[in-house]
Amino acid sequence: MSGPIEAFFERLTGDGAGALPRRASGSLRIDLGSGATTERWFLTFGEGGVSVSHRNAKADAVIRTSKDLFEGMVTGRVNAMAGALRGVVWLEGDPTLLVLFQRLLPGPPSTAEQGTVVGGRRS
Amino acid sequence: MSDGVVKILDGNTFVVSDPRGDIEASLTDPTGLFSFDTRFLSTWVLTVNGERLNALSVDDLQYFEARFFLVPGTGTVYVDAKLSVIRQRAVGDGFHEELTILNHADEPIELAVRVDADSDFADLFEVKDALKKKGTYTNRIDEDGLHLVYERETFARMTTISASGPAAIDEKGLTFVVTIEPHGSWTTDLDVVTAVGAGGRMVRPKYRRGERRAQPNMGRSLENWLEEAPRLECDDDRLRATYRRSLVDLAALRFSPLVAGGRSLPAAGLPWFMTMFGRDSILTSLQALPFTPELAATTLQALGDWQGSRIDDFRDEDPGRILHEMRYGEMTAFEERPHSPYYGCADATPLYVILLDEYERWTGDRSLVRQREHEARAALAWIDDYADLLGNGYVWYQRRNEQTGLENQCWKDSWDSISYRDGQLPGFPRATCELQGYAYDAKIRGARLSRSVWNDPAFADRLEKEASDLKRRFNRDFWVADEGYFALALDTEGHQVDSLASNNGHLLWSGIVDKSKAKSVVDNLLGPKLFSGWGVRTLAEGEGRYNPIGYHVGTVWPFDNSFIAWGLRRYGFKDEAATIAEGILDAAGFFGGRLPEAFGGYERSITKYPVQYPTACSPQAWSTGAPLLLLRTMLGLEPIGEHLVVDPALPTSIGRLELLDIPGRWGRMDAFGRGRVDVGSRPSRRRRNTRSRSRTRSS
Repeated sequence: MSGPIEAFFERLTGDGAGALPRRASGSLRIDLGSGATTERWFLTFGEGGVSVSHRNAKADAVIRTSKDLFEGMVTGRVNAMAGALRGVVWLEGDPTLLVLFQRLLPGPPSTAEQGTVVGGRRS
Repeated sequence: MSDGVVKILDGNTFVVSDPRGDIEASLTDPTGLFSFDTRFLSTWVLTVNGERLNALSVDDLQYFEARFFLVPGTGTVYVDAKLSVIRQRAVGDGFHEELTILNHADEPIELAVRVDADSDFADLFEVKDALKKKGTYTNRIDEDGLHLVYERETFARMTTISASGPAAIDEKGLTFVVTIEPHGSWTTDLDVVTAVGAGGRMVRPKYRRGERRAQPNMGRSLENWLEEAPRLECDDDRLRATYRRSLVDLAALRFSPLVAGGRSLPAAGLPWFMTMFGRDSILTSLQALPFTPELAATTLQALGDWQGSRIDDFRDEDPGRILHEMRYGEMTAFEERPHSPYYGCADATPLYVILLDEYERWTGDRSLVRQREHEARAALAWIDDYADLLGNGYVWYQRRNEQTGLENQCWKDSWDSISYRDGQLPGFPRATCELQGYAYDAKIRGARLSRSVWNDPAFADRLEKEASDLKRRFNRDFWVADEGYFALALDTEGHQVDSLASNNGHLLWSGIVDKSKAKSVVDNLLGPKLFSGWGVRTLAEGEGRYNPIGYHVGTVWPFDNSFIAWGLRRYGFKDEAATIAEGILDAAGFFGGRLPEAFGGYERSITKYPVQYPTACSPQAWSTGAPLLLLRTMLGLEPIGEHLVVDPALPTSIGRLELLDIPGRWGRMDAFGRGRVDVGSRPSRRRRNTRSRSRTRSS
């Protein structure tokens, strides 16, 4: 069954990585949950794109959090930086890669639904 | 220190204490040990035999180190001390304090030495706004010392206090019972270490190999920092002192964000703004470019990495927007404040492109420009796609976070800074004039980079066409024809917010001003309503809201004036630029070379000295950078192609001026000038001779 996390990574491997500069390169592992039930996502950045797998390998940067919180992150309900400061999202490794990754996360859903951008894109 | 508090810092860890070295903070009192926007120590009081001590003197040895000389008793008239107490304190990841007591008597002496310690773990925002805490406190003792712990859900912060000598530790501090021989001394080392926790674990700082205690991270490179900067030779002792003060303060203001890999950018101010700010970090980097170009490189990298990528109303974030302010404290963590980071400013984004271009012009570092092409293009796109809130081709701002966002998203960010001549305030959104100038300059500079580095001449053509269109409309819509200056802003009806303000100088700097209008703008900037004799007031005398001690409505800001002087040079008004440089540098002399954020807009001939605006932060980064930019404008330093052009216009009071070893794409170059501009007789005497020469040296 495909949940919001799967949908998020599907978008990423499509054209969802457009917010990334081409210089972004390296690997990022996302560990969701802990112990035997840990769900792993392994991202490789390069040439402006992202490839995604479930490899359990050493990465340049690691994000550890619960599946619930990550689901919040990929749906824009949880801000990654605030979560890290609060201690519910753990970050390790290359800080630049982590900052570039959070650029791929969407904004809060309420904003998008209400379309509250005052100006918006001009044609 | 002028305000009676002693501040030492390293990165974003700092200690603010009274002249005895004691800390007795209340929720609203801004003393303590702070790190990453959290107060880790709010009580730190030394007593000897139950008595408080009295300060004889304080040496702030370096910006990260201070020494307090104390004697027992709190008498202020005469002290007959048989004891001296010396506290030497250095900031690192926490602080280290060496406590020494000297016995001057012929008999041995027994003492109970006590240090009271506690922490309220206040967020900086709570200190500013006097807010109550939501978590719980625990003080506990183990073999490592006294631990002060604060926890709120998964958020935890801890301070650990330990001593090198035997101490009786209780939950409120440490007591030493000591005997000191006649003319002998006793010493102990106190360590205060901060730790950040999450998920039940605490992360303490990792010290360098062989070091067991907090050490300043940047202190060791201060000598090197000073050596790398250009050398200033001149007849004017005060200018030399101001230059050195600026370099040292700029060193103290260095802040190393995590994404910068150990490199630093200028934080905005000490101590409350020791963090990354879009506007302040960029403008200070611009001021310091001819002196310390690496600050600009780090600013471009860190702000670029954090560029906005989505629409988030709480953080006023848009794709392509450059951040306003980053914070790390509890209120940011729990999203009670939007600073993770907060994006609500309208100028940092165009200024980002301006800095990128100016950086390349000085350093020739094309690889960074190539690396940041993505961010620069997104920033340029933001100007058209997200900043033009009314769809009429201007940059507008209006916060979407109505609770904790910023109302005024330009540098004059206080509530009443933007007003009509009659004092009325316009509604939102607002399009202030300098934002249009920055947008124009960003497009022109973006076009240059696009053609010369990104190899995209079509994009360059488009940007230039947009810039020229913007300039044409701007000179029509913002021009207050009767008075000969540009309106402070446009309101939503398209009417001019018609006050005369210093923003006109930024317009000259941006190049958006039609040549035919420049003379009239300059006459206004240096006319009696705006020019106080020290500098250009933020708002002209006679405007409805003018107040010589109003934050953005009449005071003189050194940083503002340094950019105005740059603008005057850009349009060829060398004497006027020299006039402003002299006024601001004279003012610096009254503050020991450390310019405040702002001083009163009173007429110079009346007060004779500049009246400092009371402000919490000193040094302030862009005030620190002001003398540097003024040196650049006085010497007329301009990178043209591979060369540094020197075209000095110095006030006579400065005399001879040599700036040696100016770094850039040319290697190192020297610039010389001699004062020829008779500021006193401006504007009747226009011409004077400047003698200049420059030579290239092998670097």
